[in-house]
Amino acid sequence: MADATQVAAAASSRDPAIGLAAVASLRGLLESLEELQVGNARDQGWSWQQIAAALKVSRQAVHKKYRRFGF
Amino acid sequence: MFERFTTNARLAVVAAQEQARTRGADAIRTEHLLAGVLDQNDSLVLSVLTAHSIQRVDLLADIDAATAGPSDAEALATLGIDLDEVRRQVDNSFGEGALDRTRATRDRKGRKAFGHLRIDSSAKKALELSLREAIRLKHGQIGAEHILLGLLHAGGAAQEILVGRRLLLDAARVTVAALARDRRAG
Repeated sequence: MADATQVAAAASSRDPAIGLAAVASLRGLLESLEELQVGNARDQGWSWQQIAAALKVSRQAVHKKYRRFGF
Repeated sequence: MFERFTTNARLAVVAAQEQARTRGADAIRTEHLLAGVLDQNDSLVLSVLTAHSIQRVDLLADIDAATAGPSDAEALATLGIDLDEVRRQVDNSFGEGALDRTRATRDRKGRKAFGHLRIDSSAKKALELSLREAIRLKHGQIGAEHILLGLLHAGGAAQEILVGRRLLLDAARVTVAALARDRRAG
């Protein structure tokens, strides 16, 4: 990876515009991955309780968030 | 208020909404309004810029710089995360395009793709000030040039961009007044 140093430099940057944008994108990625994994778990017959335990959140939280998705 | 706008001024506001949308903004801001004004190639606005030795392309570049955030891939790269690699892994497990098909992704990308965008307070103020500028100059209608004057003291990114290119309110007012007089006389 030719621009590894460039990336490292950016990561250590204290410019809020860069740091906050990275956090926002990371949150977006997190949401997408969680949705895929929760959907897959439901497809494989996992209970909300099992999913919640694996995600380390309450059953209510995960159920409330994904109920509307029809999982 | 809009009934006193010239065609170009109206088109500038319409174009501002398009500018905000295509730039993925959640509201119409002053920089979008400025881009909308520049979109019209209004002869009076262009004359004001020329009179102050400002290039339209430079302003457009400034607007791009002010509105362009990093892409997700670029932003994640600063944390050492290779989004393409993540996408490859996810596609392997869940099928091609799985990551981009999630509701989370679609909501984030498509949130502003339809419906009316609100106009933020500075852009609203710029439009109100454009009316005042027209009244001040005793012009019967609000043209794109008056929006430009409004943008010069409404705050927001457009003011910063214009002032950064050395367009100042008082001087611009004098120029607009002179050009409008010439146009009427001519």
